[in-house]
Amino acid sequence: MASSIEQSAFFQQRIAKGALVVKDPPKFDLESYIANYAGHTRMDRLHHIGSHSPYLALDAYRLAIAEAKKGKNVNLYLQLAEELGIIAPQDPAALTDTTWAEKKAQETQREQDRLEHELKSYKNNLIKESIRMGNEDLGHFFYDIGDYSNSHKSYMKMRESCTSNKHLADMTLRLVYVSVAQKSWLAVQSNLAKVDAAQLKGEDKSKLEPIVSACTGLAHMCIGNFKEAATNFLGTLPAFLTAEPAAGITWQKEVISGNDVAVYGGLCALASMDRSELQAKMLGNSEFRNFLELEPHIRQAINLFCNSKYSACLDVLEGYRSDYLLDVYLSKVLSTIYGRIRTKSIVQYFIPFSCVTLDEMSSKFPVSGNVTIEEELEHMINDKTLEARIDLVDRLLISPPTNPRHDVHADALKMAETYDHTLRLRLTRLNMQAAGMEIKAEKGSNEKMGVGESLRGLGSKMGFS
Amino acid sequence: MTVELSTLLLQFQPESEDLKSRQKFDQAAKAFVKQLDNVSAPHWSKGANTPQDVLEILNPTVNSIAYAFALRHRISVAVDKKSTDAIQPGGALWNKLVLFLETFDPVQMRYAGQEYKKLVDYVETLARNAGSPGLAIAPIRSAMIRLDPTTGTFTSTHLDFVRLCLETQSYAAAQPILDNYIHSLPSQIPAAVREGSEYSVVAADVARSGEFIHKNSGHSDKVTFVDVQEYYVLGAMAYLGLRQFKKAQQFLEHVLVMPSANVANGLMLEAYKKWVLLNCLVSDEPKAVPRSANATAIKQVRGASKAYEAVADAYGHLHNMSKLKAQINAGAQTWAEDGNTGLVKAVLDSQMRAYVSRLSKTFSAIPVSNIARNVGGSADETTQYLETLIKEGHLNARLEQTNKPETGIVLRFYLDPTQGPLAKTEKQQQQALFEQTLRTNALADQVRDADYRLTLTKEFIENLKRQQKRQGPSGDAMDTAWDDGVEEEDIMTHSHQHEAVVDRPHKKQKTGDDGTELSVEVK
Repeated sequence: MASSIEQSAFFQQRIAKGALVVKDPPKFDLESYIANYAGHTRMDRLHHIGSHSPYLALDAYRLAIAEAKKGKNVNLYLQLAEELGIIAPQDPAALTDTTWAEKKAQETQREQDRLEHELKSYKNNLIKESIRMGNEDLGHFFYDIGDYSNSHKSYMKMRESCTSNKHLADMTLRLVYVSVAQKSWLAVQSNLAKVDAAQLKGEDKSKLEPIVSACTGLAHMCIGNFKEAATNFLGTLPAFLTAEPAAGITWQKEVISGNDVAVYGGLCALASMDRSELQAKMLGNSEFRNFLELEPHIRQAINLFCNSKYSACLDVLEGYRSDYLLDVYLSKVLSTIYGRIRTKSIVQYFIPFSCVTLDEMSSKFPVSGNVTIEEELEHMINDKTLEARIDLVDRLLISPPTNPRHDVHADALKMAETYDHTLRLRLTRLNMQAAGMEIKAEKGSNEKMGVGESLRGLGSKMGFS
Repeated sequence: MTVELSTLLLQFQPESEDLKSRQKFDQAAKAFVKQLDNVSAPHWSKGANTPQDVLEILNPTVNSIAYAFALRHRISVAVDKKSTDAIQPGGALWNKLVLFLETFDPVQMRYAGQEYKKLVDYVETLARNAGSPGLAIAPIRSAMIRLDPTTGTFTSTHLDFVRLCLETQSYAAAQPILDNYIHSLPSQIPAAVREGSEYSVVAADVARSGEFIHKNSGHSDKVTFVDVQEYYVLGAMAYLGLRQFKKAQQFLEHVLVMPSANVANGLMLEAYKKWVLLNCLVSDEPKAVPRSANATAIKQVRGASKAYEAVADAYGHLHNMSKLKAQINAGAQTWAEDGNTGLVKAVLDSQMRAYVSRLSKTFSAIPVSNIARNVGGSADETTQYLETLIKEGHLNARLEQTNKPETGIVLRFYLDPTQGPLAKTEKQQQQALFEQTLRTNALADQVRDADYRLTLTKEFIENLKRQQKRQGPSGDAMDTAWDDGVEEEDIMTHSHQHEAVVDRPHKKQKTGDDGTELSVEVK
């Protein structure tokens, strides 16, 4: 069955376009996985899994379509049904329920008119609180029908009528929420910074802290700042797991779950930190342990890395590759993260040796695809990530001998020569300036300028400008 | 009359006891030069070619000033009369001229700048007339070095000399002069400073060439901006002729940093084009234009040298060597028009070298057949090429034969910088560092010197300001107020305060020289 789905036009098209299709079956169970999520991210994740994994496509689409029918987002429903229609035309859920769609579209249009009308009347009455709530309702409404940019606008309009810090913080959190749905991570970051800067005190503040750090980590990860992402995820307090809804959003369900924090944090840390840092900040971090317990294999991978068992660590991660590729946020950056971890493993592995055979390297780090280990190592050396030389004759990877004394002398000489030359250049320039020598514009062009200027002057005198 | 002349000429005896003091020597020498200037031309020719000939009586080393005058007049007469025998290379006067330029007393010639300049010019003219300008190079060079061992004050002779060397393609002959850094330009030294204390006389042992070669000393024609630029561009070309690319590039940088009112000129463009190409030849990594260069001017020349930048860009693509070839072929006409064909060819030749030297950063040993496959040549050719690279010192590596037949000859790089043909021992390094220290110290002196000249200029400007102020509408009626004005100005410009104070004591002395100051004192 799965193979016929894989052969379907939908996935063939994706492969032809060079888009990602995860062919291996994932380890997780869709039902229990998706039960962790609610709201927009549930839909988004189902859609992502359905469109990427032939194995889970049918289940995911069915769930997603059933879910979409409960909501107000007509466009999403139509899109899902159409895609399922290509994958499995005979499936009952693939038949687009046009009557429902039309009815729903009319309903939402009416609701929008009503909300806009209400907001207008609030504005006439000039009651700030009502205006704020009117805008908020409109924002919620636009969010529900999937019109994120209008939703963002409506939430933004709340700012003028916010009367307390709490309102301001709620509004900004809403903006974060919308920006996450839009996947515009820079907006997420700037809004999170505003939440952080909001003058909340005591309990309110401490309630928001874990949410802010988890979301900041997510935003950093999605734009490729793995180091910052890791720091933020690691700083997320376990209170996040049990946090009450803030601004009406259950963050650990509707945006990023505790499991996600563990996985994202662990992978980002592996990609960006060295062994001692991992040991101190990750394994020695009692707060983060709560998260790691949710995802024991991440913990295992980090342990292996810290114990210099790099190939075992890579094996563990490789085992979960298809799972992570089906994660809506990870799938785009996963290959970069895995690549970094691999490169770092190779570098770390090579540190204690002065010489390793290439065969040993390729057995420790089996290469994927059609690159040879030589090519990969050559690339790393040219990138200056690996300080080594390759001996193609005896098939060795050699750590070059260092001679600090010689290097210091050579550097000193080079630096002195550079400074010497720079100083000479400056002195030449200075001498010429002192002698009043300077390249000046040609006489001819000067005169032309002069004419132009005088004409311009004439114009202003005559009252034109 | 002849007798009179010779006694007159012998009047000035630099070795005599009276002139031990440098200041007295200074005065005597000046007076003597003035006196000789007044001797009319016919007198000099009397007694020529007799035992009484002044050129025989005088010793060029001891009586340099007198000898210079005599020689100059004699040559000018000979040139007018077209008596080519004496003045063509190998003739009597030519030999005397060459001997003089090689042996004159440098201190005396500081005073007779005009004679010096004319004699040096004659060498070139005479050699040219005889159809072999190359003969002039050695005498001119020794004269320059004799007058100023650092040859660091720019004169028009510098430019003439480099032009001559390029014309005759004797690049190596130019090198001793080119290697010396131009640390000063002939400047306008205010008269008040020139006459001043015992230690700053022209004849002083410690005098720097920037002090005795100045705008009025006659050693040089007027030097313009373009002259300096041309000198550096031509110098760079001479270095190119010697295949000393690094020095050539450094010379061109001097042209690039020249002060500019946000415009570039043709020489700068020329320099930039060559500079871009040299960048490929000199260093592995692309180098930025020196920071002190005028940004707008550089932008202008950049816009006009796109073809060259494209070549430099293609040069960096070591895995795609055909790109450079294509770029170079595409621009063949441009290179030919700019006269850079040779340089472009050198760039093309050196790309292979860059490729191999990058290999040394990745591999410790690599079969030659691999390299040959990557660059698209036969193994034998590549081996030969690598051999020359190693021999010429571009590569710290060796070629070795392996016992495995399928690998063939192997290029093995030396990983330790202290091993291999290019290795430097610590002693050599120390020696190099020591030499650099000497150079740096010398440069520090020159900087101090330039700094000193700059302070003079500041004063000069201040002086000028005061003059202009005086000529303002308030006129001479406000005589007392004028002084106050100065005080005010001093307070405003704190940094110049001490200079103004130093300035005061000079005032009385200045009256003699400086016409404008004189008028102040009269008031």
